[in-house]
Amino acid sequence: MSESKLKLLSNGLFKQNPAFIQVLGMCPTLATTTSAENGLGMGLATTAVLAMSNITISVVRKFIPDKIRIPSYIVIIASFVTMIDMLMHGFVYDLWKTLGLFIPLIVVNCIILGRAEAFASKNGVIDSLFDGLGMGLGFTGALVLLGSVREFLGNGSVFGVHLSEVKMFAMILPPGAFIALGMLAALFNYIGIRRSKTSKESK
Amino acid sequence: MREYLKTGITLMIITVIAALLLSVVYSIVREPIANAELGAKLKAIRDVLEDPSTRRPLVQDGKIPQTAVELATFEWSPEAIDFGEGKVYVSDDGRSKVESPAYKFVADDGRNIYIVIGSSVGYGGDVKTMAAFVVTESGPELNGIRVLEYSQETPGLGANIASIDIQNRFFPVATEGLNKGLKVNQDANVTPTGDEIALRREVDGIITVSDVMTGATITPRAVAFSINAMYQFLKKAGAN
Repeated sequence: MSESKLKLLSNGLFKQNPAFIQVLGMCPTLATTTSAENGLGMGLATTAVLAMSNITISVVRKFIPDKIRIPSYIVIIASFVTMIDMLMHGFVYDLWKTLGLFIPLIVVNCIILGRAEAFASKNGVIDSLFDGLGMGLGFTGALVLLGSVREFLGNGSVFGVHLSEVKMFAMILPPGAFIALGMLAALFNYIGIRRSKTSKESK
Repeated sequence: MREYLKTGITLMIITVIAALLLSVVYSIVREPIANAELGAKLKAIRDVLEDPSTRRPLVQDGKIPQTAVELATFEWSPEAIDFGEGKVYVSDDGRSKVESPAYKFVADDGRNIYIVIGSSVGYGGDVKTMAAFVVTESGPELNGIRVLEYSQETPGLGANIASIDIQNRFFPVATEGLNKGLKVNQDANVTPTGDEIALRREVDGIITVSDVMTGATITPRAVAFSINAMYQFLKKAGAN
């Protein structure tokens, strides 16, 4: 894998993490991270849609007139979301029931349209795929981390495995989502600022 | 004019391709979706046919349906109830619905068991519940419930109704409690604790969920309303 592809992948994972750094896709981030498993399911569904829509938009970018690019992107994204919704309904029924409403809502997740507009519509297919995977996996990682923290503090478990007797129920409720997200975003930004300071000093 | 045509045709081509791809995916997943729905329904039937105190099946394993064909042999459509064209019975207060068909089983000890599916409006849409009623000398008693559909409820709040521990708070309920009508403890303005939880449920029909579903009253209320509608349906149908 070339260095530029690796950079595209790692950009989404850390430097430009969609949830903690870009603060995009907050609705599913806050609402579905009541447990690590829900976060993982939502993140992977979003990654699949992001990668497929990025590839498709990159392929058709030269054929779509500028005036109708947004409705065209939305039709493409909505089609992939509907496919994922149907596949999850058929093959991972319990997870589909739990995530419910938030699967169709991936259509309006601003990360997907954001990457289509900012990256896939201007770059080649392979680069768009890596950008989609990087951003999607970054989003998944953020959701799993947030879900794990909330599940651990709120229910004393991670991925359903019982780990402690700590049960701060509020962490599973909406206020807990804001508190945990705020702390993790602060941590990510702190690490980012420290890194850039260290690299400036070494120069 | 040419530009309008070009943009219109481009959009049309995109939507036609999208529709074609969706129809292909749907034809692939149609059967797995039907199997998943049926599997969930059959598992729920198995669960509600368990004795709530011993967790043993009230009906021999071999007599519990495993397929759609076997399930059809247990269908029960009472003559006293007119389901109408929509195949639903609407409760007197109009808040809840009962689906047709219901199912009738005979327990190993000879008692009749009726399994009914009902729904009521939750926070985001219909909350569908399956309930089993065992007919005793005093009348039908609620033996068990399973919530089948809650996909429009908020994750982390109303969607917590998926938890088996929370669903187990709704049963068993004696005829006396069912006659008073089930209600969640927030609506009854009481907060039972310890052994009182089971007592208030069985005798007064008060379902205590405020400690396990903080901030989400509408979803358990929908479950309680649909159980009331199912009980009303059984009484009108003359289930005995």
